[in-house]
Amino acid sequence: MNEFLQRLNALSWDACSQWLVLIPSGVMLLAAAAAAALRNLIHAALCLTLSFIALGIVFIALGAEFVGLVQLLVYVGAVAMLIVFAILLTRPSDLAGAKSPFAGLGPVGGILTGAGLLVALLAFIFSSPVAKTALPPAPVAPVAKIGELLMGSYIVPLQVVGVLLTAALIGAAVLAMEDKQP
Amino acid sequence: MNFFALPVHFVQAPNELKAWFLSLLASFGVPAWLLVVISAVLVIGTIIGVFLVLFALTSVLERKILARVQNRYGPNRVGPCGLFQPVADGIKMITKEDLVPRSADKIVHFLAPVVMMVPALMVLAILPYGRDMVPAELDAGILYFFAVGAGTEVAVFMAGWGSNNKYSVLGAMRAIAQMVSYELPLIISAVVVAMVTGSLAPSAIVTAQGDFAFGFFPGWYVFTPWGFVACLLFYIAALAESNRCPFDLPEGESELVAGHLTEYSGFKYATFFMAEYVGMFAICGLLVTLFLGGWQAPLPFLTIVPSWCWFFGKVAFVAFTMIWVRATLPRMRIDHLMTFAWKFMLPMSFAAFLAAACWHYAGRGPLAWALSAVIVGVPYLVLGNHFTARFSVTNRRYQFSE
Amino acid sequence: MNIPGSGIFKGLVVTARNFVGSYFEKDRLTTEQYPEERPTLPENARSFPFLVYDGTDPETGMRCVSCKICEKECPPQCIFIVQDRDAAGKAIKRPKVFNIDIAVCMSCQICVEVCPFESIRMDNAYELSAYDRFSSLLLDKSKLLKSNTYYRSIHPTEAAETDGRIEADRLKKEAAAAAKAAAAQKAAAEKAAKAVEAAPELQKPEASA
Repeated sequence: MNEFLQRLNALSWDACSQWLVLIPSGVMLLAAAAAAALRNLIHAALCLTLSFIALGIVFIALGAEFVGLVQLLVYVGAVAMLIVFAILLTRPSDLAGAKSPFAGLGPVGGILTGAGLLVALLAFIFSSPVAKTALPPAPVAPVAKIGELLMGSYIVPLQVVGVLLTAALIGAAVLAMEDKQP
Repeated sequence: MNFFALPVHFVQAPNELKAWFLSLLASFGVPAWLLVVISAVLVIGTIIGVFLVLFALTSVLERKILARVQNRYGPNRVGPCGLFQPVADGIKMITKEDLVPRSADKIVHFLAPVVMMVPALMVLAILPYGRDMVPAELDAGILYFFAVGAGTEVAVFMAGWGSNNKYSVLGAMRAIAQMVSYELPLIISAVVVAMVTGSLAPSAIVTAQGDFAFGFFPGWYVFTPWGFVACLLFYIAALAESNRCPFDLPEGESELVAGHLTEYSGFKYATFFMAEYVGMFAICGLLVTLFLGGWQAPLPFLTIVPSWCWFFGKVAFVAFTMIWVRATLPRMRIDHLMTFAWKFMLPMSFAAFLAAACWHYAGRGPLAWALSAVIVGVPYLVLGNHFTARFSVTNRRYQFSE
Repeated sequence: MNIPGSGIFKGLVVTARNFVGSYFEKDRLTTEQYPEERPTLPENARSFPFLVYDGTDPETGMRCVSCKICEKECPPQCIFIVQDRDAAGKAIKRPKVFNIDIAVCMSCQICVEVCPFESIRMDNAYELSAYDRFSSLLLDKSKLLKSNTYYRSIHPTEAAETDGRIEADRLKKEAAAAAKAAAAQKAAAEKAAKAVEAAPELQKPEASA
């Protein structure tokens, strides 16, 4: 009976896997655009969080389970909370008064920059050897293998990142500590 | 297989029932993709149904147990022994007027209960409810649990901010600070178990606790020194993550009205309440999976009782201890809470980590047991005595927020 | 060196003992499950006044003589009395209308203290909820009259003392009446004796004839 169900599962996964990537990607793009465009700072922060979640789902749908879950854990659980706390604690007043020097031009500058970047990126991607050769089969990346690689071949970058994070933590603690005056 | 005869194998009853039903549908010509969808719907529906019934039952049993501890009867008017009280509570919650403050952020205020409920239900997907009864076999299941559980913090913030109320914002900030601080010991305790097992998959962790030492003593991780400490740390962090006593400062009435839940009434409040209880069950389920052997029976001859009975029995026991702790302990102050998390629980979790590693590399024999007990016991006694020592009375140093 | 956490452990043991004990030791749960179990009121508990009648018939055994002292003394003025008149229009010593508004009554017991005829006493019934605001809470004479047997059952000591006092009064009155009758008889006898002494001759020929 279980084998029967497993065969059913395998059959349908291939058919809907492309939608599993396309829909979250669309959501992510929309949310990122909203995060940039929204007036209300908290709404923008929450749309940014939504784009993080969508990106995590894209990673998982592409088969990179570990990266996707870590994306959710770190970005949504920690970075988004950090952004939100920063907004809460600093309480910025409405930025309606701020005028940018390019305000008169409207969205023209942004569209030109975005279009130029898109054209350049597409040109580079399609002229690189990656687009010409056939894709190798997707590597199976169970968590155990990632752990072995991290602790084996990539141990030095891991330790460097650890030291960096520790320095950041200590720095933050020092900044937040008051001067202990007797 | 005879499609119209119900299978009689009781121990694997849920799996057998589902397979029988699906094969029945297949014999009627239902296409394969629809069968997959129906199978998923059946599993999800069953899990949600079971946990919502458990939520209803727990809400009344908690009140009755608390009452008995306080030498009084609990609710005993509605239904036999008051067990239909959740029905009365549900009717009350549904018929209450849904007040939204005029200056509240409508979208954020509305979505907060939804965002709270969804992760609480999603994390139930990776728990192994019995032998071969995991809804989603994920290779990194434990990581999935914590990743999705992080969504709860976003919901708390949304609830606090969206209400446009000073008490809510304060309560939300404290709640998030508490949840983020206690996530570290929680995750490190879980990682200790993953390290010893060699896998992040919950089913592998449960299977690794299946051996019986001396032929009768269960090989659960809670019975090892490092496992016992890690289990206790996980339990305390679980209490803090679900905002339960003694860590229920965010929702204490005498502290902050109701914290981030101040401006919620009626069904939205019921949703928050439900999400909190379902989250509590989920984290109890994870505790049972990681430390108490999941669906394993405690003695070899007790495997007659179905595995899912053992799982839910253990979850019920852990939930009962949570209610017991709620009846016993007073609420902690926010600075005590944070000090406890960062200065005691985090070093202890690292000590448990080190003890587990030493236990494994010392060969898992008697020497390994003694060594890990020392590595865990010495920091516990030293740190504990340091923090519970009586301080001398000096001039108090006042701290004001700038 | 103390084991950190032992205090919490002891607390958990205390709680567990309470939990298990609440099922086995009957004197732990002091809750009175109203309305299945009514609370035992102390003897002097009082709620609202009622009128006492002796014997079996309320109208004839009623002790109230409509002196209206309680109506005058009632602080929130919740008593309303109309004296009864006989066929000729002369006032008789009984009330025709006796209303107490228990929505107003504050149970101060002043009416009881001032009544010279031991006729108004405090009841201890407390389940007096009504569905309307005013009319059900205005008790008229028929609702207020309750027998002396009922009074003895709710306030035994007080009733016994009242009955004793009434009995003593009655005996005193009877004794006074008896003494008065005896004195009157004695005076009449003395008068008769004096009359006999003053005219003894008149008596003798009557006696000899």
